[in-house]
Amino acid sequence: MLKMLHPVEVLSRLPPFVLDGLNIMELPPSAANFATQVKTERFSGSAAVLTVTWGAVCVIAALGVFGGANLTAAAIAGLVVAAVGAALAARMSTQPSTAAKASEPETPANQPFEDAVEAVPDPLLVVGAEEPDDLAGKRLVFANAAARALLRIPREGALLLSAIRRPEVLEAVDESLFGGLSGNVSFETGGAQDRFWRVWTAPLPSRGVKRLCVILMRDETDSRRNERMRADFLANASHELRTPLASLTGFIETLRGHARDDEAARDRFLGIMGVQADRMARLVDDLLSLSRIELNEHIRPEGACDLGLAVSDVVDALGLIAKEKDVTLSLAAPPKGAAVVVGDRDQIVQVIQNLADNALKYSPRGGVTKIEVTAGLTLAEASATDPRSPRLISADGGRLSLLTPDRTEERLYVCVKVTDQGPGMERRHLPRLAERFYRVEGQKSGDRQGTGLGLAIVKHIVNRHRGGLWVESAPERGSVFAAYFPSAAAQASGIPAAAVEAPAPAEAPRVIRAAS
Amino acid sequence: MSEHTLKFFGDELTQLKAEVTRMGGLVEAQVSDSVECVARRDVGLAQIIVGRDVKIDELQKEIERKAIRMIALRQPVAQDLRRTVSALKMAWNLERTGDQAKNIAKRALVLAEAEPLTPLTRAIERMGKLVVSHLKEALDAYTNSELERGLAIWSADEDVDEHYNSLFRELLTYMMSDPRTISPCAHLLFIGKNLERIGDHATNIAEILHYEMTGEDIHGDRPRRLGADGDHFHGDDR
Repeated sequence: MLKMLHPVEVLSRLPPFVLDGLNIMELPPSAANFATQVKTERFSGSAAVLTVTWGAVCVIAALGVFGGANLTAAAIAGLVVAAVGAALAARMSTQPSTAAKASEPETPANQPFEDAVEAVPDPLLVVGAEEPDDLAGKRLVFANAAARALLRIPREGALLLSAIRRPEVLEAVDESLFGGLSGNVSFETGGAQDRFWRVWTAPLPSRGVKRLCVILMRDETDSRRNERMRADFLANASHELRTPLASLTGFIETLRGHARDDEAARDRFLGIMGVQADRMARLVDDLLSLSRIELNEHIRPEGACDLGLAVSDVVDALGLIAKEKDVTLSLAAPPKGAAVVVGDRDQIVQVIQNLADNALKYSPRGGVTKIEVTAGLTLAEASATDPRSPRLISADGGRLSLLTPDRTEERLYVCVKVTDQGPGMERRHLPRLAERFYRVEGQKSGDRQGTGLGLAIVKHIVNRHRGGLWVESAPERGSVFAAYFPSAAAQASGIPAAAVEAPAPAEAPRVIRAAS
Repeated sequence: MSEHTLKFFGDELTQLKAEVTRMGGLVEAQVSDSVECVARRDVGLAQIIVGRDVKIDELQKEIERKAIRMIALRQPVAQDLRRTVSALKMAWNLERTGDQAKNIAKRALVLAEAEPLTPLTRAIERMGKLVVSHLKEALDAYTNSELERGLAIWSADEDVDEHYNSLFRELLTYMMSDPRTISPCAHLLFIGKNLERIGDHATNIAEILHYEMTGEDIHGDRPRRLGADGDHFHGDDR
């Protein structure tokens, strides 16, 4: 199907959104050579502008091919493609023969252009249709790599409606197909990670009865998110900082007034003021780290992190606090290398740290806090719990998923589960746990008061990693918090059974006895 | 000869499903926009939503007409019949989902005149996001005939109910502590109920998908965990 469509035509219809500030002449020498070659071989008579444009298209192809998976190269390619599109579009308005010239029969020289369209980092689709009302006749003639990954569709032949349902986009596509108009719409998708998309549509020259148009999607989540975050951050910060600030001001008044010469009172007040100032500092830290995480939430981390090692690091670091509280930390993790997940190590450590911190905070003296890591779970297994759990049998207890990842094909997960023997919570509190500043009434978290952001941070980090989070709790029966992350190991399908079995919980759990 | 007829019928079925999908897309947009207009106090958007509901009703009638015509003319059996009937059921379900979204938008118009109750609208927004993601998953599952994906949504509806219960309590607390908030809170309560119903419709879509593909209802109580007693649902998984 793609054969009848020259990629240059596709490129030429892309929106002119990044033309400014890009000079095609400043391309690397190798690209310039490429351009000259193309010029002498095929377009010796063409206008200079056209040649340069063609050369630039080749450069994109070259970048796409040699740059491989290199994100920067792909991004540059995207810019150049767009610029080329703009240049060609401007040209074509005065010289309609360009398209005809470009769509010569297939030669090897066409390959770079196909590759170029394929390498555009934004999802790009070409739709073909004959009748406006024939919904089943509107099919994708071509979907580039980014579009295939995003919409889970094949390279060609998918129904337009199975790729895109959004009514605004469908209308714009119809206008391009049958009205010859270019369109520009934006929309927000639901799902675990919100995304804002801007979509351009433009008609392509039709082939016989078949009408064609191109759709380009661009992720504008970054800028939209920035706007919202700023407003949310200000609202959160000002509201929560007011309380400790009021208390500080109160004490300063007192110290200036009648407590000025009372040494004992002064010491005590300064102590309280110190605690409040600490709290404000922690709050600001947490708020800042939360907004940092939220800003990147839609960008999947790329590194790898051994969850087993991360957990044992956290356990070591918390040993002292556990000792002070006389709480035993027990750790069960698979051997090194068996529980590697895709992720940002610092953030994953923060997740474990926050969960373990909470467990310790609410544990009674002499209690046990268990941390288990289990690898090789399917999504159903990772989000499942033991039906015989005492917390589920309890009338007031319950279990709730605080975050469920979008389903992806046969992915495996590694789960870290933290169980405490604390006071537990009623079922009704569970939906609001990951809410900012939510506190379960009547619970004492001890002398070191939290910021109320711990679980919100956990949730956002886990969401960024495309993982999940659930909680199970019942009054007087303790709580379990579990976070699971996509495994870096092979996919579930095609993995030998032995490999799945291997990372089962280690037989001899390592126990740190705090109270020796 | 018969092959031609069958192929033609197959095309008609694909067409019917495409129309249901288009209607689904419209309803999905209505629901997410309705949550948005409550959260952002967007009066203009709310009015657009109310206006667009007519379009959904038209689509429902059209699908109904086509499906009945197909049943009458082609007298489909087995899976063909189920696919036709499913399209009918989907249209009814989606139409009601659209009505819920319209109701939310109408209430948003009223709420926009009162003082903002930020923490509460945030709770609605949170619940709305959850419901929108369920509806999206259910429609994705239906569009691509993914049985297991549908079942996952079917068993996840409990989460929506939990959110609704928690919202209910939160609203009661507000109303008791400050009677001036009773009127807006009552509207928010109904919005919560509408969202909860939309969540139910998402599970209905999963049920319709299951019926279309297997010819059976999903039996048993809503399973809490797929892994435990629901193993037969994903037999092709391993």
